Amino acid sequence: MVSDGGEGSVYGFRLSSVVPATVTGEDKVHGLSNMDLAMKLHYLKGVYFFRREAVEGLTISDLKEPMFEWLKLYYPTSGRIRRSESGRPMIRCNDGGVRIVEAQCDKSVDEWMAMEDHDIHNCLTYDQVLGPDLAFSPLVFIQLTWFKCGAMSVGLSWAHVLGDVVSASDFINMWGSIMADHAPPRSLGTNPTSPKPQFHQKLSQKPFSLKMTHPIGDHWLLPRANHPRMGTRYFHVTLDQLKRLLSAHSGPHAQSQPFQLLSAIMWKTLAKIQGESEPKIVTVCRNSYGERGDDEILKNAMVVSRVEADIGVAEADVSDLAKLIAEKTVCENGMIEETVGGDDGKSDFIVYGANLTFVNLEEVKLFGLEIQGHKPVWASYSIGGVGDEGAFLVLPAPDGDGGRTVTAILPENQLAWLRRELKDEWGIA
Amino acid sequence: MPQASPELSSSVKLKYVKLGYQYLVNHILTLLLIPIMVGVLIEVLRLGPDEILNLWNSLHFDLVQILCSSFLIIFATTVYFMSKPRSIYLVDYACYKPPVMLRVPFATFMEHARLVLSSQPKSVEFQTRILERSGLGEETCLPLTVHYIPPRPTMEAARDEAQLVIFSAMDSLLNKTGLKPKDIDILIVNCSIFSPTPSLSAMVINKYKMRSNIKSFNLSGMGCSAGLISIDLARDLLQVHPNSNAVVVSTEIITPNCYQGNQRAMLVPNCLFRMGGAAILLTNRRWEHRRAKYRLVHVVRTHKGADDKAYRCVMEEEDPEGKVGISLSKDLMVIAGEALKTNITTTGPLVLPASEQLLFLLTLIGRKIFKQNWKPYIPDFKLAFEHFCIHAGGRAVIDELQQNLQLSAEHVEASRMALHRFGNTSSSSLWYELSYIEAKGRMKKGDRIWQIAFGSGFKCNSAIWKCNRSIEPPRDGPWLDCIHRYPVHIPEVVKL
Repeated sequence: MVSDGGEGSVYGFRLSSVVPATVTGEDKVHGLSNMDLAMKLHYLKGVYFFRREAVEGLTISDLKEPMFEWLKLYYPTSGRIRRSESGRPMIRCNDGGVRIVEAQCDKSVDEWMAMEDHDIHNCLTYDQVLGPDLAFSPLVFIQLTWFKCGAMSVGLSWAHVLGDVVSASDFINMWGSIMADHAPPRSLGTNPTSPKPQFHQKLSQKPFSLKMTHPIGDHWLLPRANHPRMGTRYFHVTLDQLKRLLSAHSGPHAQSQPFQLLSAIMWKTLAKIQGESEPKIVTVCRNSYGERGDDEILKNAMVVSRVEADIGVAEADVSDLAKLIAEKTVCENGMIEETVGGDDGKSDFIVYGANLTFVNLEEVKLFGLEIQGHKPVWASYSIGGVGDEGAFLVLPAPDGDGGRTVTAILPENQLAWLRRELKDEWGIA
Repeated sequence: MPQASPELSSSVKLKYVKLGYQYLVNHILTLLLIPIMVGVLIEVLRLGPDEILNLWNSLHFDLVQILCSSFLIIFATTVYFMSKPRSIYLVDYACYKPPVMLRVPFATFMEHARLVLSSQPKSVEFQTRILERSGLGEETCLPLTVHYIPPRPTMEAARDEAQLVIFSAMDSLLNKTGLKPKDIDILIVNCSIFSPTPSLSAMVINKYKMRSNIKSFNLSGMGCSAGLISIDLARDLLQVHPNSNAVVVSTEIITPNCYQGNQRAMLVPNCLFRMGGAAILLTNRRWEHRRAKYRLVHVVRTHKGADDKAYRCVMEEEDPEGKVGISLSKDLMVIAGEALKTNITTTGPLVLPASEQLLFLLTLIGRKIFKQNWKPYIPDFKLAFEHFCIHAGGRAVIDELQQNLQLSAEHVEASRMALHRFGNTSSSSLWYELSYIEAKGRMKKGDRIWQIAFGSGFKCNSAIWKCNRSIEPPRDGPWLDCIHRYPVHIPEVVKL
């Protein structure tokens, strides 16, 4: 591994586990819905940076102690994947625990954030994969990395099968809340019910947003042999830039929304890069609070839809594309659930990257995690296990900024082109 | 049913015969005294008051005789009181309650074992089997260092654990009893494996700023029975030093103990030993008897070290890879049974009622002298004690003793539940068990308690206590938040 300043900088990894404060009980099972199983090859990676003032005087014990009460509320996160008699995966809530990783970095946080290569952020989240020892793989890793200047980053590795970004974000925010001695709710509903009944009727139509992979058995890792290497890049769109773009490219009748506009820009740019093989169908994924009940804190409640472009994307007007994304979505949740449930969760699928995917995470309370009253100076999410078509996540920018952070996960060669185009054409860096 | 009733009636008849026999033999003196007193009374009544007065006047007492007799009586009484061993009281004790942060559920333990011993799947499987049958629950605790993968036990980490456990227990004890550190005259700390310099007793003296003329002792290497050895030492010292307080701290520090090799005999302690500690206040001050919980009646120590097999049965040694661990031999249960028998041979005559001793003697005579083919009579210790605290060394130990002493499930409940909730905490386990009995509200004034501990060497030590006052369920203590859940049913094999 060449030490380009990124990978070699993080060292001193120490692993330990934290468990729920009280015994969860024998034979408590958290059922996995069809939507959960559709996401099983994806892993969420969230990074939160805290300045030195936020973590001054805190020892590792101070950070770990509140976790025990926290995990009592979210006990399925401490469970492990088991298979029922039919072979369908489920989570056995056996208090296996969440893995905590402690690490050091020999750079200061400013040096780190100034680095050109954004893939280094992967060093701040543990490289999580469920399997090959599936029954003994933790579902959640939390990496705490201390920088030379005293700052700290919190890296959350979360198996998507547990829940969506809203669930993961609320989970980590609750830790901050308990650390600050805010009385946690006595219990949260974690819907330990059995999954919905499987449909055995003939499928009406195959969903575009779901792609079946080769069988991967108990090693839930998207095979990458003969596939291009994926890279990650974070783009920051300030409020001013956003306002400028919105006013310049809104449709004649209605004002575009940030997510739709940014997605349209990315779509068009990629179409330009890919030329002949431009993506005509994209997947749009919306994460919001509206799709879940109060007692469903761990759920994959995204609305997954497809958008088909009947016009040439590379030449199209951005405002038209934005309108398409806003209005012409076809919800594929039902079809996805039917397909996955059809063989009782035995087949393996991906959703992100099956087509070019745009994930709307604007409602996620990204900066809700507070340590000693301080919010993170920067935070973002990325996804591991994304298919070749790539994905874009639109997240809120740091507090007070009003802008957006766009995470691009694409094959590396396309990523370099994208950077240039966005900078030259749109002024986005 | 006609078939059952003759058997039932005969067993009931036998029970009454047994009861009658016990009552007769145990109260023989009273039963003999009553007819004599009745006889005297009748004689007195028959003689009449005048005759008695004449009898009294005929006795010539002169001054010298009276003085000498009184002097003799006073002298005898003084000698008796001076040579009587001082009563040793247990004022109170405190057990360490590990925080939730140190909890180790089965799933976590097994997962860590898989990762640490990833190249030894057979060893992992072995540990799983031991854990499934161990009788431990999901709330036992291990120190912070052991929660890391792999654990890196350093001396500093061991000292940290020692400070955490011992100081918590001491603080709790000082709080409960109102004792000032400067009032402690004797301090005994026992911890088998971890023995640093300066000693753990010096560590306690330093922390609590105790007096410079304190008599401190540190016992190491003496195994799980060291707790009772410390009590015995404290008792002997309290005979010599009048009006003194003795604090005994019993603990086992797990950090240096975590074996990371693959020898099966050495992996068993990893599965069973857990964090724990206790601090006990003993005194010979007479006025303390008002608030003391227990009085120490006997301590019986048995050492089988002269036998080679017994000596080697619990051995700390290096495995072929140079990793240090504690090896338990396969004969452990047999040796424990023999050590127990030897201990009972001494304890029995001290505690058993006359009825049981007589029966034992008669069967012994019958077997040895008359060569009758009788089964050896196992005395019924349930007649001598109300409560039993058997060292929670493991499920097998408790099962073995329950069988040997013919105890009911309720008698061994304290031991089993302490094993379930706290694991094998070595020398302090007896105090967690005693705490359980108190928390359940079962301890009444006059109850007799038998604490039995086994330890490397091989030793079997007993302490016999008598409850000094009825004890209400305490408002603190290690069982406070969970006693309502106990007793639990512990399955033979837990499904992991």
